[in-house]
Amino acid sequence: MTVYHGEPNGPSFTVLAALFETGLDAALVHIDLAKAQRHSLACAQQAEVAMSVEGEGPVVVVDGEGMTDSVFIACYLDGVSEGKLRPKDPYARWEMMTWCRQLIERTAPAAAHLGLSAHPPIGDAGMLAKIGSVDLRARWHDAAAGLNAEDRLADSKMKIAQAVNKIEAQLDGREWLMGEFSIADLESYAWLAGMVELLPSAFAERPRTADWMHRVRLRPAVAKTLSLARMAAPAAYWAPGPEINRWG
Amino acid sequence: MSDVTLYHWEPNANSGKPMLALMEKGVPFNSHYLDLLNFDQHKPDYLAINPQGTIPAMRHGNRVLTESTAIMEYVDEAFTGPPLMPEHPRDQWRVRWWMKFMDQWLGPSFSMIGWNVFVGPAVRTKDPDELKAAIERIPLPERRTAWRKAIYGLFSEDELKESQRRVAEGIRMLEAALGKREWLASDRYSLADINGFNLGYALPLSQPKLSNDELTPNILRWLRAIYARPMTKACWAMGRTPMVKRVAILEQQYIGREKVT
Repeated sequence: MTVYHGEPNGPSFTVLAALFETGLDAALVHIDLAKAQRHSLACAQQAEVAMSVEGEGPVVVVDGEGMTDSVFIACYLDGVSEGKLRPKDPYARWEMMTWCRQLIERTAPAAAHLGLSAHPPIGDAGMLAKIGSVDLRARWHDAAAGLNAEDRLADSKMKIAQAVNKIEAQLDGREWLMGEFSIADLESYAWLAGMVELLPSAFAERPRTADWMHRVRLRPAVAKTLSLARMAAPAAYWAPGPEINRWG
Repeated sequence: MSDVTLYHWEPNANSGKPMLALMEKGVPFNSHYLDLLNFDQHKPDYLAINPQGTIPAMRHGNRVLTESTAIMEYVDEAFTGPPLMPEHPRDQWRVRWWMKFMDQWLGPSFSMIGWNVFVGPAVRTKDPDELKAAIERIPLPERRTAWRKAIYGLFSEDELKESQRRVAEGIRMLEAALGKREWLASDRYSLADINGFNLGYALPLSQPKLSNDELTPNILRWLRAIYARPMTKACWAMGRTPMVKRVAILEQQYIGREKVT
């Protein structure tokens, strides 16, 4: 198993932390997702890599097959290990998958939008020409040109604030989002860690969320994940993520 | 009397996913039909069950579950009956990847086109004031926008063009995947196939220039194989609208390029 990952933020954070939580062995290869290096991998043109809904995320290669989309990679890692990252009860599992789904659909595109707006990537034409997905390439062009549309930024900020409110409410009497620690904690932290600095108002007077983020960082697997950073502030590392819902 | 109640519209898109999963699993359920075209899903009775006003929802005992794909995974895990997920975690990853791809990338493009040609015109004949009030009752802002666009025909040419591009690309990807494997995501019938059938059962009718036995033989083989399953027939027989009767196209043994107009 080889894990091609970027800086420990967003989807790369989820996958690396899930890997270390399971204790599985894997070769780790650092690639610069913000320079579209994923599109030069041998498996880059496989449909499930080229057309990943997640956008620029890590790729886990097993037997030549590239796997993408961090929550599902984390489910895979959980499935081939001891199964400690997902609840066993079907209803609790439904809660976790639904939590992650809503996060993927609403929060992640908003976080990527705000992250890229603050830290625009460089859109080198030769590099972008390798991107197989037409709409992902368009997101690169938009991000490199600067994401300044006020309505989009306001909408994204609102979605981040809603996500933090939801987390704050969910943590009432709980240490972790689903009760037991799970993939939901990793995926939620992955997309929100970079928002603390960009949108401090969303985190103001949210003590349970602050404590929970601290607890996440204290986990040995997370500390190991963050230690792989090559930048001083990996939470400021962004590449085009999932698109904002095209219509309702 | 079953302790499972499914609140659903037609066996089509999101509603059809848990319907067919429950039936394949052999789980009896109480069917609570909501007429999407009559905005039943935004009425107080249903909002008391699912405050987001989205269809489908499932009650099991005293719990209510939403999100059709997550409901399907629950159905597979919570009940005995034939497994609808492959055993190996890598195959399971592929099932989830394709379901997400269809739910979030391909499906919305299909449904934009479907809403533009079917849902919009079907509800547009209603009283304008009644429609306005119906839109205002929709809880989720994104759904409000979607309905407004469908009802008043506000999809832009660019939006529809992009949806058509994605539909063409998605068909190409499905054909390639089904050329590699018997079923969409692994070598056994799974939730990915149930999901995909709900999206594409009328493909040779809705996209005759892109999908037929000449251009996409693997998709047609796959659709017919799913349609041949007794539970698929039973599920689609629960449909009430001409939209879902289109599934009968799959009874034709060969759908050539030139025969379709």
